[in-house]
Amino acid sequence: MRFLLRRAMHTLLILVGASLVSFSLVNLAPGDFFDQMKVNPRISQGTLASLRSQYGLDRPLPVRYLQWVRSVINGQWGFSFAYNSPAGPILWSRSGKTLLLTGVATLLAWSLALPLGGWAGARPGSSIDWLTRGTVAVLLATPELVLALLLLLFAVRTGYFPAGGLTSSEYVPSGLWDQTKDITRHVFLPSICLAAGLLPLLLTHIRTAVSEAFESPYIEAARGHGIPFRRLLLRHVLPLAANPLISLFGLSLGMMISSSLLIEAVFSWPGLGQLMLEAIQQRDFYLVVDTAVLSTAFLIVGNLIADVLLYASDPRIRTE
Amino acid sequence: MRSRAEIAVCLPILLGPFSLIAGTSELPLTAQPSSSVCTSISSTEEFLSVKGEIGQCGGRLIISKRSEPKTLNPLTAIDNISRDVIGLMTADLIHVNRDSQQPEAALAKSWTVSPDGRKYILRLRHGLRFSDGYPFDADDVVFTFQSYLDERTHAPQRDLLMISGKPIAVKKIDAYSVSFTLAQPYAAAERLFDSIAILPRHLLQRLYEAGQLMNIWGLNTPPTQIAGLGPFRLKEYTPGQRIIFERNPYYWKSDAKRQRLPYLDGIAAVFVTNNDAEALRFESGETDVISRLSVANFAVLERDQQRRKFRLYDLGPGLEYSFLFFNLNDLSSDILPSLKEKQSWFRTVAFRQAVSSAIDRESIIRLVYRGRAYPLSVQVTPGNKLWMNRSIPPPVRSLPRARELLRQAHFSWGSGGSLHDAQGQRVQFSILVNTENVQRVQIATLIQQDLKELGMGVSLVSLESHTFLHHVFTSYEYETAIMTLVDPDPDPNTEINVLSSKGGTHVWHLKSNNTPSWQDEIDLLMQKQSITLNLGERKRIFDRVQDLLWQNMPAVFLISPDILVGAKNRVGNFHPVILGDYTLWNVEQLFIHKEPGAERGS
Repeated sequence: MRFLLRRAMHTLLILVGASLVSFSLVNLAPGDFFDQMKVNPRISQGTLASLRSQYGLDRPLPVRYLQWVRSVINGQWGFSFAYNSPAGPILWSRSGKTLLLTGVATLLAWSLALPLGGWAGARPGSSIDWLTRGTVAVLLATPELVLALLLLLFAVRTGYFPAGGLTSSEYVPSGLWDQTKDITRHVFLPSICLAAGLLPLLLTHIRTAVSEAFESPYIEAARGHGIPFRRLLLRHVLPLAANPLISLFGLSLGMMISSSLLIEAVFSWPGLGQLMLEAIQQRDFYLVVDTAVLSTAFLIVGNLIADVLLYASDPRIRTE
Repeated sequence: MRSRAEIAVCLPILLGPFSLIAGTSELPLTAQPSSSVCTSISSTEEFLSVKGEIGQCGGRLIISKRSEPKTLNPLTAIDNISRDVIGLMTADLIHVNRDSQQPEAALAKSWTVSPDGRKYILRLRHGLRFSDGYPFDADDVVFTFQSYLDERTHAPQRDLLMISGKPIAVKKIDAYSVSFTLAQPYAAAERLFDSIAILPRHLLQRLYEAGQLMNIWGLNTPPTQIAGLGPFRLKEYTPGQRIIFERNPYYWKSDAKRQRLPYLDGIAAVFVTNNDAEALRFESGETDVISRLSVANFAVLERDQQRRKFRLYDLGPGLEYSFLFFNLNDLSSDILPSLKEKQSWFRTVAFRQAVSSAIDRESIIRLVYRGRAYPLSVQVTPGNKLWMNRSIPPPVRSLPRARELLRQAHFSWGSGGSLHDAQGQRVQFSILVNTENVQRVQIATLIQQDLKELGMGVSLVSLESHTFLHHVFTSYEYETAIMTLVDPDPDPNTEINVLSSKGGTHVWHLKSNNTPSWQDEIDLLMQKQSITLNLGERKRIFDRVQDLLWQNMPAVFLISPDILVGAKNRVGNFHPVILGDYTLWNVEQLFIHKEPGAERGS
């Protein structure tokens, strides 16, 4: 319990730091949300000045920061100038979609990486090992953006998959099953793309961890006792290799959130990434700060989950 | 309902992404014509009968938008996407026909103007109802204008309704007549009524009294709390994905067969991230109409027209113009000290004319726009048929003329062909561009090459759009810049803020202590045309303004790109225009062909 409390305090401090940095950096960028209106010949300078004042853009930065903190505590997360509404509800509806995409992609990446990497580590030089290393090389050499565009082109040319979005354009909800099928068709290509970005890292780490575990004296001894290979791998090697992999799992969650920003833009996925991009382009001040803080929070939570799992799986950490 | 959607979102994670993919092609990807039956109009309503092909009722049109609307509040909407979407649900008293570009009766069936041009009396149609079934009358009109003019609302359109600094006085005469009194005569005052969405007093009066009108009709407002007089009403909004509209059963327009419009059952607008994603959705058949194509996407889609059963349209130049302008602001010497010397060149008319003469607009059109743009001498484009001054010659590239002009202005060429001013200073300057607009960066690169032939050293500075605007409008830290403006309406009144020295978008000289005599004349002429009621006289005045711009070139006008749009063959009554959002101006008349082979082009 004390461990969790300590970690929660660390998380809070990091989030405060991230919010301060985001606030200052966004404020340093020249221009504001209302600049775009200056090119509209029908809007006068007086109207722009009164809008700026109404939204509090003429107040000092510390005052705005404190107001934002207060609104975060109230669950409003500041105010979106573009949407003319509290930012909180906008963020929550988008976060769920980003978590869906990254959740599916993480599951996909780990489901492929664990058996492939584990086998390659257990049997170095085997055909699976060569396949794994080849896959890693190809995926590392292919930028995610190129892969995303290729997949999108495939979708448009063949018509097998939709060209972006979360649901079909003309989708009328007719049942849970149809909704699930529709969302699955849409999540497939972007999650493949995201998973492909993470796969080389996972494969390399899993292969190395399993390979190192196999070389440990404890496993040598087990092998000497005649324990069958499959039992050896599943019961002894994988638990031994688990610690670095659990840490990697936490890291991968955070990485997925960052990578999804690009993929969401390419596939018109209505998640946080697209929202953040739009907010930056429009200088929607609080929404930019919110998305930056939220991305940081996801990264920290990923690591927190990994720490908790490590705490649960490794008695040495509990003792410390 | 919501919990079911949430479960649907979670299920793919639980079931795994692979298990459900096969056999999903049964899901409808595009609009299917439904079997809706058109309703006839009632005798108690004063309908507006519109011309056009008689359509078939039913079906849903799917369009794309480059981002989601930010609000559904007509009073505070600023961005084009919100305004387009609101336009589907609302109507105005007098509407500028996007095809003829002329004002015509809408909710007001007729209007009269007093001899001095200051008082307008509008007669409203009888028996009309808002989309929630509540009757419409003069109280709604008075309430609407009160709301737009209320300072607490911060409506951007309030400025439009202030003539000579005074608000238009609105008074109810009877249940179906309203008078509007202007502080002074205003040319084309009918156009002021366009896009002022009439609001439902019965829903909003209480909020108006509480000073809360600026917070109404957000994206999460329940559809039952929103009502308008447009052809559609809100049905459903899904954050980040789409917004769906259904037919307004009380709409007040009919076709020649006295069938109530709109023909469509509804419209679904899906949100995409950018131009390319929009083109992809259209190509894959997920959307029925595309409103603004880039030339690159137009070229790609053009090849697939027959196979994929859609048609693309090049409507020619719209009201958008790109121009190069010089920093002519009167600045203190601490802002870009080097700028002071360069401003002596920029303020020389012959220098600006030489730059204009040296720019090869035809190459810009050929290389950047693949031939789909028009060269400009002044800011009025050929799309503005009524107001273009046809006596101004089209721009022609002439390096000998450019050199002659520079020679006359005491510039000379050094060894190696570099250009120097009378003080021996090498002529070098930078062009500021918005990095997000690829075409503008390409234009700047071509201009850099063109001016190099004159011996000018030109460098490019590309900045992200807000930083670009900050430099141009606030800090004035730039030497020259390329920008694009779009006139929302062909009438010269929309240009006052650009051309008058006191205007907020007079970008080349926002900060002025003194102005040249020709600029003073432009100021006077723009003011004069705004109060001249005789159309011929106004045209002569605005022609003179264009002559002055052409002779003195405060900015070098470059090109106007063509408007490129597309629609599936099965969309009936599709007649795109160069105004507004180009494709949906007659949305109430659009329909989906039901019989195979009945479409355009088949």
